[in-house]
Amino acid sequence: MTWVEFSYLIPIIPFIAFLIVAFFGNKMKEGGAPVTIAAVATTFVLSVLVLFDVIENGSYETSMNWIAGTGLEVGIYIDSLTALMLIVVTFVSLMVSIYSLGYMHDDPCKRRYYAEIALFVGSMLGLVLANNFLLMFIFWELVGVCSYLLIGFWYQKPAAASAAKKAFLVTRIGDVLFLTGIAMLYVKFGTLNFVELEHLMGHDVQGLLLPALLLFAGAVGKSAQFPLHVWLPNAMEGPTTVSALIHAATMVKAGVYLVARSYFILEHVPDAFLIIAIIGGITALMAATMALVQYDIKGVLAYSTISQLGYMMLALGAGAHAFGYTAGMFHLMNHAFFKALLFLAAGSVIHAVGSNDMRKMGGLHKHMKITSITMLIGSLSIAGFPFMSGFFSKDEVLSSVWHAAADNNIYYVLYAMGVITAFLTAFYMFRLWYMTFSGEQRDKSYHPHESPKTMTIPLMLLAILAAGAGFSFFFGFQDFIYFGHAPHVTIVHMFEMWQTWLSIAAGLGGIGLATLVYYKGTISPSTFTAGPGRRAVRHMLEMKYWMDEIYMGIAEKGVYGLSLLMDKFDRNVVDGAINGISSGGIGLGHASNEFDKGVIDGAVNGLSKGSFKGGKALWNLQSGRVQDYASMMILGVCGLIVLMMLTGVIS
Amino acid sequence: MAIADLPLLTITLLIPVIGTLAVFFMKNEDNAKKLALIFSLIPLGMSILIWSLFEIGGGYQFMESHTWIESIGISYTVAIDGLSLPMLFLTTLLIPLSIVFAWDTKKRQKEFFGLLLMIEVGLIGVFVSLDFFLFYIFWELVLIPMYFFIGIWGGPRKHYAAIKFFIFTHVGSVIMLLAIFALYFESASVLGYATFNMMDIATVSPTFTAAFQGAAFLALLFGFAVKMPAVPVHTWLPDAHVEAPTAGSVILAGVMLKMGGYGLFRVGITMLPEGAMEYYWVMAALGVVGMIYGALICLAQVDLKKMIAYSSISHMGFVLLGASALNLVGVAGGIYQMFSHGIVTAVLFMMCGVIHHKTGTRDIPKLQGLITKMPQASFILIIGFLASLGLPGMNGFVSELMVFVGAYEAYSIFIVVPLITLAIGAAYYIWTMQRILMGDFNEKLGNVTDLEKYELIPLAILVVFIIFLGFYPNPLLDVIYPAAEAVLGGVLL
Amino acid sequence: MIPLNYYLVLSAMLFCIGVYGVLTKKNAIYVLMSIEIMLNSVNINFVAFSTYNGDMSGQVFALFSIALAAAEVAIGLAIFLLLYKRHGTVELNNIRILRW
Repeated sequence: MTWVEFSYLIPIIPFIAFLIVAFFGNKMKEGGAPVTIAAVATTFVLSVLVLFDVIENGSYETSMNWIAGTGLEVGIYIDSLTALMLIVVTFVSLMVSIYSLGYMHDDPCKRRYYAEIALFVGSMLGLVLANNFLLMFIFWELVGVCSYLLIGFWYQKPAAASAAKKAFLVTRIGDVLFLTGIAMLYVKFGTLNFVELEHLMGHDVQGLLLPALLLFAGAVGKSAQFPLHVWLPNAMEGPTTVSALIHAATMVKAGVYLVARSYFILEHVPDAFLIIAIIGGITALMAATMALVQYDIKGVLAYSTISQLGYMMLALGAGAHAFGYTAGMFHLMNHAFFKALLFLAAGSVIHAVGSNDMRKMGGLHKHMKITSITMLIGSLSIAGFPFMSGFFSKDEVLSSVWHAAADNNIYYVLYAMGVITAFLTAFYMFRLWYMTFSGEQRDKSYHPHESPKTMTIPLMLLAILAAGAGFSFFFGFQDFIYFGHAPHVTIVHMFEMWQTWLSIAAGLGGIGLATLVYYKGTISPSTFTAGPGRRAVRHMLEMKYWMDEIYMGIAEKGVYGLSLLMDKFDRNVVDGAINGISSGGIGLGHASNEFDKGVIDGAVNGLSKGSFKGGKALWNLQSGRVQDYASMMILGVCGLIVLMMLTGVIS
Repeated sequence: MAIADLPLLTITLLIPVIGTLAVFFMKNEDNAKKLALIFSLIPLGMSILIWSLFEIGGGYQFMESHTWIESIGISYTVAIDGLSLPMLFLTTLLIPLSIVFAWDTKKRQKEFFGLLLMIEVGLIGVFVSLDFFLFYIFWELVLIPMYFFIGIWGGPRKHYAAIKFFIFTHVGSVIMLLAIFALYFESASVLGYATFNMMDIATVSPTFTAAFQGAAFLALLFGFAVKMPAVPVHTWLPDAHVEAPTAGSVILAGVMLKMGGYGLFRVGITMLPEGAMEYYWVMAALGVVGMIYGALICLAQVDLKKMIAYSSISHMGFVLLGASALNLVGVAGGIYQMFSHGIVTAVLFMMCGVIHHKTGTRDIPKLQGLITKMPQASFILIIGFLASLGLPGMNGFVSELMVFVGAYEAYSIFIVVPLITLAIGAAYYIWTMQRILMGDFNEKLGNVTDLEKYELIPLAILVVFIIFLGFYPNPLLDVIYPAAEAVLGGVLL
Repeated sequence: MIPLNYYLVLSAMLFCIGVYGVLTKKNAIYVLMSIEIMLNSVNINFVAFSTYNGDMSGQVFALFSIALAAAEVAIGLAIFLLLYKRHGTVELNNIRILRW
């Protein structure tokens, strides 16, 4: 008996917790938080046990029939990728839900919060465990709904309500394409099961580009890749814990996971890899530039998340034989830790300051040491400071892209974009850290204080992983998570490559520049906006390349305008035509009625009326007096006599 | 004597007849609803019984056949198969739920509940009869009570809506009747005897000439398209819904629209396979246009009920699209969609009724922040909306997926066009949710309370169906698949 | 001997008086009397022509006519009596039962 046989409990436990909290949460402490935390902790323990099982015994699958007659099934598939995702998701969820004890302590709607978190965790784990694309899609949509509900958690805020809507709709575009891809695969192969599909792949690889790209389109929506990245910055309207859990560590990784999961399809369509890499590269660079001009502490982190997700896509796009798969998933894991850490630390700051605006912060280091230091660790990690986890994974990503460039020169460009992104990342992260923690407090209207233990302990645990998780690559990770054959990279080997030194230089350069500008003050920030050209660039970044405006234009003028037009069309033209026909019919009815009355009846009536009128006239002659009749008779006789005389009958 | 030997269908059909008369002629007006509820629960029990005795894949069952007017081949023939069983169940389920939901009706209660039972008679009759003559009688019988329903208990433009409803559907029926007569005479010349029996006609009708089948199919399609309704003969629907009382809307959208789909499968495709194969593109075009057009118009609506009415047009487009695919998954998906749309749309119209009742308005811009005052209602509304936009885990998704898979088999990549509906569908529902549920409560709406018990019970039952069938559609699909196979019998040859 | 013309003129004058009376008098009795005058003018014609032509049949007709006139008056008066009983008047303007 092995632990994987109980893996079906992993998504079910949070679902049960959801039901318990949703119905009885009000009667429990902290709105049912203990139930949610206990459930998540149990899933974490189970996930660890499952991981050991998988390391020992390899992959595991179980399934049952679902929609009769279609061959669609419900089942669990666990391989190394799943096991990794399980650990990442359950661990971060556990940290976040513990952290929420402090962060959400004063919120009146805690029950709803914990219920929705439990639902999300269950759905996310279901997504990861699914053994076929359809089941994955189902949970994919469910996490989308949870994301929708949690972004709109403070639904009274119009911004939150509209951000929730935006998130749902933008990802929905990707989802629809994803579903199309699924339908195509289903019709082509008659199954959606990963293992069966992989098996069938060997026989028929024609016409796979389109379904592969449609699957990727789903990932683009979910993982906020260009051009569907616009929802993620707005999603920061939700509670910070939600941003950390859903919009940094787990749900947005679902897209990356999907691409990794579809590798067995993608490997047959090299063009798809290139497109994924290009989209990833563009997203990474573009989002990094937009992060430069943010003053909202969560805004910086949101763009940073988009940028890092782009990095993962870039790595996955490097292809199987360049170890992009390993590098991308490695970055996914590390990013989950350090980005969750950064968000939670930012949440701690927001908790203390009561605002997201970095211009009001500054000098917080002396008040909140734990937050400050853990956030510094997170920043160093994401900036690629040597030996932090982000350093290793970023380096692996860049080196896999470099490997891929041996086949296709475009990857050189992408490599350059990756290096620039690394530089920019280091810069904006340290801009954030310096603006928040160093110098003097710019707005004195509040009194910062360190957050409670429930919040700082998860921060410290995450900080340990953010700093140290990178070494796992050399101790098992690369032999566990790979596609095709495992890479064999050693630390010594890494430092023999000039690319490693380049990425170190990029990271340190970014940190150094930020130090000069925002700590030492040797370079004034206004240098960046000196001159019309630079101002224009800054404006463009502040306007986020006008992407929102373009989409709003399409949505408002295009779709909504079209719908208004259709509505008018429906009411005036279609209904008008119908009403026209009916009024035509009525008109015709009236006309025939008139004809009936005027002509046909007229003839009959005229006849009767004529005789009636004649009768009436004659009736007047008939006085009823005998003498009148007599006089008439006499007149008649006289007339006759006259007539006879005139005609000569009587002479 | 076993239960299955009893004339179960006739009993199911007769009970609401007796109920109608009893309710009409009872003395105490206030007890009308109780009596009506009892008389509508019995058919529900009967249909559950029939379902439990139903042999999956056994073709027509519980058949009763008695000659009626022998000289022109009219008989009383009723039976049920996998296509009509879900429809029968849907009818018998929604009628008692509507009665419960309309518990506080004050105006002319006897007539209200009596007419509801009368509608039930017609609907059950349509779904069980296997004789064209009988079928047509019941088909028309449904119209009359619905006409009065809208005309008496309707909103401000009720007379316009009632007449429009009547004329539209009646024109559709007449053209359908024309096709039925064509089938009758044509089959008489082949069979050697005249009969209105559907099964007898179905044995010979697939052998008719392609030209005849095409023409008859188009005529039938017109009649059914009006009922479903398909663009451009749909405009009676929004008007009828906007004016009809909630119970009327529930029955209208929940079951009456399904008569069109039912007829399409039972008569159109089954009897005239060559016609269907020739004009599948008409169905596809009607379906796709209806889906996108209806969804787009939803975006522009300010009246909640009108929006839901248009969304029905959009969702019934799925049925047409599924039917047009002429393959097993598509047709089964279309049938499933009829059932699941019946459930979901009933929830939506009931919720719409609740909101109108509590706040006094259905104007989306005037409603705001209802979640604070009506948490239960909002919860159910969210579930209804999510089910309607095809969220996985709810019944709407299963059917939409099946329709799309079927359509993909038939049209390959062109299904991207109807798929747009899913995105637009999400857009109008999510946007509406944002506008009416979120934000601060609009104080002008006054004192708004949450669901009453008699409103909660039917809604809760329907929600259970939505989620259960979303996760476990097999009980229904097991019944539907053999029926879909039978429908496609002539096409697949 | 008196020439025929004299009789004829007298007869014509009487006739005209009778006609006048029939047409203008309101009372039915007067009308009846006027009719008698007209009848008498006709009798004068009969007798005059009979004498003039030497044919006795004219004299006979005159006698017949007188007898008939007597009967006619009797019937006429009886009708008037009934009219009077029914309508309370014999004014012809008031008795217009010939008109519907």
